[in-house]
This record gives sequence, C-alpha cells and structure tokens, in this order.
Amino acid sequence: MKVRRILWIVLAVAALAAGASQVLFLTRYPYFRKYAAQNGISLREARKVWGHPNEVSETAMGMAVEASLENWQAVAALAKEDRRSEVGTYYYNLSNAMYGQLADKLLDYYQPFERGLFLPVGEHSSPFVIGCASDVWFALGDMSLAERDAMLGMLFSPAHTGSRYLRRLAETNLVKGDYEAASKYLRILLNSPRDRKWAQVRLPDAWNPGYRMLIDEKRAKLPRFDLVHGMDQVQYTLRVLLNSNPSNKMALDYLLCYDLLTKDLDAFVADYVPSLTHSKLYEEAMLIFLAAKGGMAPDNFAHYQISQETLSRFNQFVTIYKRDNGSGKNLTEEFGKTYWYYFYYAVRNENH
Amino acid sequence: MLCGTRIIDRAWTVLAALLLLLACGRTPDLRPVGEGTDRTAPVFPDYRDVTVPCNIAPLNFYYTDPEASRFVTTFTSAGTTVKVRGRDVVWKKKAWARILSTGADVEVLSEYKTPSGPMSFRWTVHVSADAIDPYLTYRLIEPGFEVWDDLEIIERNLDSFDAKPISDWRNTKNKCMNCHIHAQGRGDLSMFYLRGEGGGAILNRGGTLRKLTLRDSSMISPTVYGEIHPKGRFGVFSTNIIIPAMHSYGNRRMEVFDTASDLCVADFDGNRMMTFPDFARLDTFETFPVFSADGQYVFYCTAPAKSLPAEIEHIGYSLVRIPFDAETGTLVNQVDTIWSATERGLSVCHPKASPDGRWLLFTVADYGTFPINHRECDLRMLDLRTGEVLTLEEVNADKSDTYHSWASDSKWFVFASKRGDGMFGKPWFSHVSEDGTVTKPFLLPQRDPHFYDSMTRSFNVPDLGNASVGFDAAEIGRVWREVPAEVFD
Repeated sequence: MKVRRILWIVLAVAALAAGASQVLFLTRYPYFRKYAAQNGISLREARKVWGHPNEVSETAMGMAVEASLENWQAVAALAKEDRRSEVGTYYYNLSNAMYGQLADKLLDYYQPFERGLFLPVGEHSSPFVIGCASDVWFALGDMSLAERDAMLGMLFSPAHTGSRYLRRLAETNLVKGDYEAASKYLRILLNSPRDRKWAQVRLPDAWNPGYRMLIDEKRAKLPRFDLVHGMDQVQYTLRVLLNSNPSNKMALDYLLCYDLLTKDLDAFVADYVPSLTHSKLYEEAMLIFLAAKGGMAPDNFAHYQISQETLSRFNQFVTIYKRDNGSGKNLTEEFGKTYWYYFYYAVRNENH
Repeated sequence: MLCGTRIIDRAWTVLAALLLLLACGRTPDLRPVGEGTDRTAPVFPDYRDVTVPCNIAPLNFYYTDPEASRFVTTFTSAGTTVKVRGRDVVWKKKAWARILSTGADVEVLSEYKTPSGPMSFRWTVHVSADAIDPYLTYRLIEPGFEVWDDLEIIERNLDSFDAKPISDWRNTKNKCMNCHIHAQGRGDLSMFYLRGEGGGAILNRGGTLRKLTLRDSSMISPTVYGEIHPKGRFGVFSTNIIIPAMHSYGNRRMEVFDTASDLCVADFDGNRMMTFPDFARLDTFETFPVFSADGQYVFYCTAPAKSLPAEIEHIGYSLVRIPFDAETGTLVNQVDTIWSATERGLSVCHPKASPDGRWLLFTVADYGTFPINHRECDLRMLDLRTGEVLTLEEVNADKSDTYHSWASDSKWFVFASKRGDGMFGKPWFSHVSEDGTVTKPFLLPQRDPHFYDSMTRSFNVPDLGNASVGFDAAEIGRVWREVPAEVFD
C-alpha cells in the first residue's frame, strides 16, 4: 500500500515537472511554438526536425512569424535583438521599408550586401530562409515571385504544408484576381481551426471595405506587362514593377539600395529619380559618383538634392581618406555608417 | 419529480448526441463554390455524363452546395438500384461491382434540399465495355519551380484504390526522379530517370532492371525526353539545355525553354549512343521524339533557334516525322512536316502515337515547350489515316491539358489537366471510339471524395500500363545503391 502511494507521488511529481518544463519552454520560446504551428507540425515534431531552439533561432522565427502577420513594429523590435544574420537584416530592412525608411536606416545595421534585401533561394538555401523569402516580394507587389517563394517554402517545410504558406498562396492569387487558384487554398484554410477566421474574411464575397482597399492597393502595384526573366534577376524584376507603377516608392528604394549594396553606382544613377525618393544615403552615393565623373558642380548638387551638410562631411571624409592613404581606421567612428565608408571598406564574404 | 427525471434524461441524450457529433468531427467547409471558383459543378468530381470503363474503381463524389442538406442519390442500371443517403457518396465495393456488372449505363437521380427549395437532377454515367489498362503511373510533385523534395512515382491500380510507390525519396536519399513511361502501355517495358549521384535511366525490360548512363561526350546534356522503341532494343531521346524563367505578369507563372536541343538514339543491347549531325544543328531545336506505333518513324517537335527568353513568344514548334531504321537505329534525314507552327500559329508539344497506329495525340499552345502553365494549352488528335486533326472540344478545358498517354489497346487515353484551380495537375481519362469520337473525361476516382480538396501535389505525366511494372521503391533503392550505371558510348 505504501509502495503504491510512493509510486503515485513519484508519478505526480514527474507529471508536474514535465508540465512545468513545458510551460517554461513555451515561455522562453513562444515563437518556436508559433512557427511550428504555422508549418503545420506539433512541438514534438518541430523539436525532432529543427532541434532544440536557442535565442538566435527564437528571434529569427519571431521575425518570420510577426512578418507573416504584418506586425512590422514587432519585426523591427526583434530585428534589434538579432545577431547579424541575413534573415535578421532582411526583416530589419523590410520593417523599415514598410515605414518608408529603408534607405535612411540601411547602414545603421549589418548589411551582408544584397542578401539582406532579398534572401537567396537556391540549392544552398536553408528551408527556413526559403520560407521567409516571399515576404519582401509580397510587400513590393510582385505576386509571381511571392507565390513562387511561398510555394517553395511549403515544398521544403517539414509537413509540405502550413498556414504561413497557404495564406500567402491564397492572398497572392486574390491579388492577381485568380479566384480559382485562391479558392483551393481558402478551402484548405477554412477547414483548419487556426486559419478559419482568417480565411472567412477573405472569401471573395465576404470582403469588407478595409480588405478590399488593401487588395486594391496591392493590385495597383502589380506589373502591367509580361516579360520573361531569369529566376533571380532582382534588378530586372524591380524595374518591371517600377515601369508599371512609377509611384511604387518601396520598389524604387529597394532597387536603389540593391544598386548601392552591390556597389553598382552606374545602375544607381540610371535608376535614381530624386523627385520620387530622397535620402541622405542617396546623397552620399551621388557624391562618390559625381566626384569620380568630374561632376562636382552646384547644378548637380541641386538636381540631386545634396545638402551643404552632406557635401561638407564628404569633403572631411575625403581629406582623412587621402591623409591616411586609404586606411579607414580614423574614419570608422565618424563615418562608419555612411555610404562612403561602405563603398570603400565593405568586403563581400565569399563563403556565402 | 418525474418531469425532472425526464429533463435530466433528455439533457443526457442531447449531451451524448453532441459528444457523438464532436467525435465524428466537423463537416468539411466546402466553400468557396460556384462560378469563378474551382468548384463550379453541383458534384465533385463532376462525374455527370462521363464515360467510364467497365473496370474502373468506384466513382466516389460529394455534393458541393454548402447550404444543402438531406441528400439522396439513386443509381439505377438495368433493373439494379442502389440508393445512397448523405452529402458524400462513397460506394461499397460490392454495390459498385453489382451496378457495373449489369454492363449498362447507370442512370442517376440526385435529390436534396436547399434553402430555396428542393433540388433534383438526373444524369448518366456511361459505362463502356472497353476495359482500361489497369495500372497508372504518375509522379507526385508539388508545382515547384525546378526544385523538388520528397518525390515519388506511384503505380495506382485503376480498378481499386490500391497504390504503391515504385520509386521514392525514402529509398534514394531524396534524389530527383523524372516521370515513368511505358512503351505502348506495356508493364514489362518502361523507364524513368533517377538524377544525380548514383542515378541513371532505369530501364525495365521484362522485369529486369538496368541503370544506364545515356550520355556520351558529344551530347549537350544527358537524355531528357524520349521513348522506347516497340521492339525494346532502341530508345529515341532529345538532349536539352533547359532554362527556367519567370513571367512577370498574369498566371503563366514559370516558363521553361531550351537554348539548345538535339536528337539521339540509344541502343540498349549494344550500350551505344548514336548522335546525328543532321539533328544536332545549332540553328534548329529538336525535342519530344517518340516512335510511331510500328517503329518505322520518329515524330518530334522542331523550331528554328531563337534568342531566348527575349523571343520566347515567337518560338513555335512544328510537328514532323522522319524515318527510323529499326535494324541499325539510324534517324534518316527525310523530314515530313505534319503540323507547321508557322502556318497554324500554334506550337506543338508531346506527340504520342496510339499503339494501334491510328492516332497521334499532341498538345498545342501559343508558344514554347512548357505548356503546363499555359491555360490555352489543349490536346489535338491527328488521324494518321486521313491526316485530319481533331480539336477534342469534349476533352479540353480552360486550363492546361497535356502530358497524355495511350492505353495499350488505344481505346483510352489519360492526360494531366489543371482544370479547376489551375495549379495542380490531375489525371483525367477519355474514351476514343473507332470514328474518333472522344468522351467527356472523368477524374481519377479516389476512396475519399474530398481527397483532391487538400491535395497540394500534382499528378505529373500519368501513364497507362496493361500490367504492373513488377518492381517497387525498395527494389529501385537497391538498384540505386548497388547497381553500377552502365556506360554508353
């Protein structure tokens, strides 16, 4: 009798310990659970596939989860906690872009060249990275690439499904007006308790004025003509978006930042339209170009909206650069977050 | 007191009923349905007025109207009547066998209640005495973009719901595999590719499996598209430099094109690859070669080379025929144009000759060689006796219809269609009569009528076989791991 009582007590303590451990786990890694749910797998399966989470993966999953819910402030907050990862930069840039601050804040943060703007989708990309790649295209208005990356995200997800991908697939097709394709995904989502409410308001005959306006805004950004392009021709794709809709400022900023992060100043100058977007970053880039091409003239400063302050700082930068024979050691503190510093000293990590 | 007991009893009854309902699970939400969605018919799959073979698996379906209730479906055939109640019509094996055994058409009466009143309609399932080849192979793949994960090739028994993988990712360390094709619908003569390290063309001749490296140093790529000669000694193939690309606008999504393509022949007995200067010209693309039923000719598609992707919308492939020397395996450069893309304004893909030599089935699209995302892509059937091209209105839909194959008796064909959602290809079957009349196609039946609702993989290159191929995925795994690839030179 006594043994049995002890056994019950041991079992109860074990159950309590297991429960407490689970609560502790979920408190510490809430995004791990949410990201697992978005991928249609249980916590147990998620641990099996992805291993035990840590702070780095928790932050990355957090950004992915919050971005899929379009909680951009939360994404920005999480990006600040990131440990210099490409995904961290990608979401940092995207959250800034949602507030029209992509260029202004670009160099305040780690920038792994263009890979912080558009995540690489290729044979060496991790399933997690692929699963995040759709977000920027959806925000920019390229539904073809948003759909492609969502489809690939689902393809490489553990269960080959998941609401984060199905929702994106439904929505890209709603924006394109392809209700037949959208209805396939909406039906699947309607039959998932987690996604039912989300899907119900997106049924084409149930749109409220707010959602209709959102779709209309997205539709305004769609390419208006068809061009067949390579799978990863980012500049080309952005130019198609801009040719279709020159007021797509986000696409223009992404294009200009892409040009600058790849140090393609010729492309930057060709793409830059000062009347449509402006940033100190662009002023700094233009000064490098103008100095190299002998164009340091007041007319050009006026045309490219280069302020006297930026011009003075550029002259300071050049003076120190020449004095130190190109060494950047005395430039880091004062100019470390300028495009001039990036242009001369940022080195591509060839391991990526 | 008595009243109180009754109330408690009723409460328990209600509670028990509720629990039972919960235990049974929720009724699936069928929305969205109707015009503009992928569910426009009152039943899904839409088996109304289709023609099915006498040996087909039960046609399970469901009613799509989410507001309707009290469904009664009455099937009558030559005095035999079967009544099914409920939204989901799922046949019992014996009942289905009984109704098919009459050999007559099945008349169906559908009755149900809708919020606007009772609804009823009559339809027919035409039962053909022509049995269909009992096996269908297909690759299950997500409609990705030239990438893959967890691929498998399935062999499905058409007179039941039995299916087995004949090659899969589990046994091949997630290797890429291309679709399985039978030669003239024969289960004992077929092939497919396992790509990557340890891979090769897997040739099944009479149940003996070989792994072949179908490439020599003069070829621009390993073999890609092709077919086995009816006598089994040779195979004709194209070699292609394939480039994937994206459309910026509309619903064509991905385009795939060749920047070079040639023809070659493999001699499976002599382990030789044969290439031909006449069919390896830089200014001409050649692709999708197949044999005529008697093996005396090769049909293929050809186009003058263009700068791609810039000129993609201007590349039209013509359908041509050349003699094939079945003794030596030589392609003879006497080109006979059957369908001129220039004259007809449509590009041809995927020719397939019926085993009886009567028909040639092919697809036409506005341009290019990758019609699976072209909504305008339709099937055409050429009468090889008269030269007449049939447009197959009964068969084609408003989405891509392609990747077809013939049954061994040439009386049925299967094809992959993206009708409905436009995203996921599914196998549809149609009957061909002597005079070329084709019937409204029917969708591959599934045990669960809601199977296709949640299916997010395409049935790629469905191919009919008159017998099982006789191997399974474990056997292919062994071949992949242990059998060295034979060299062809």
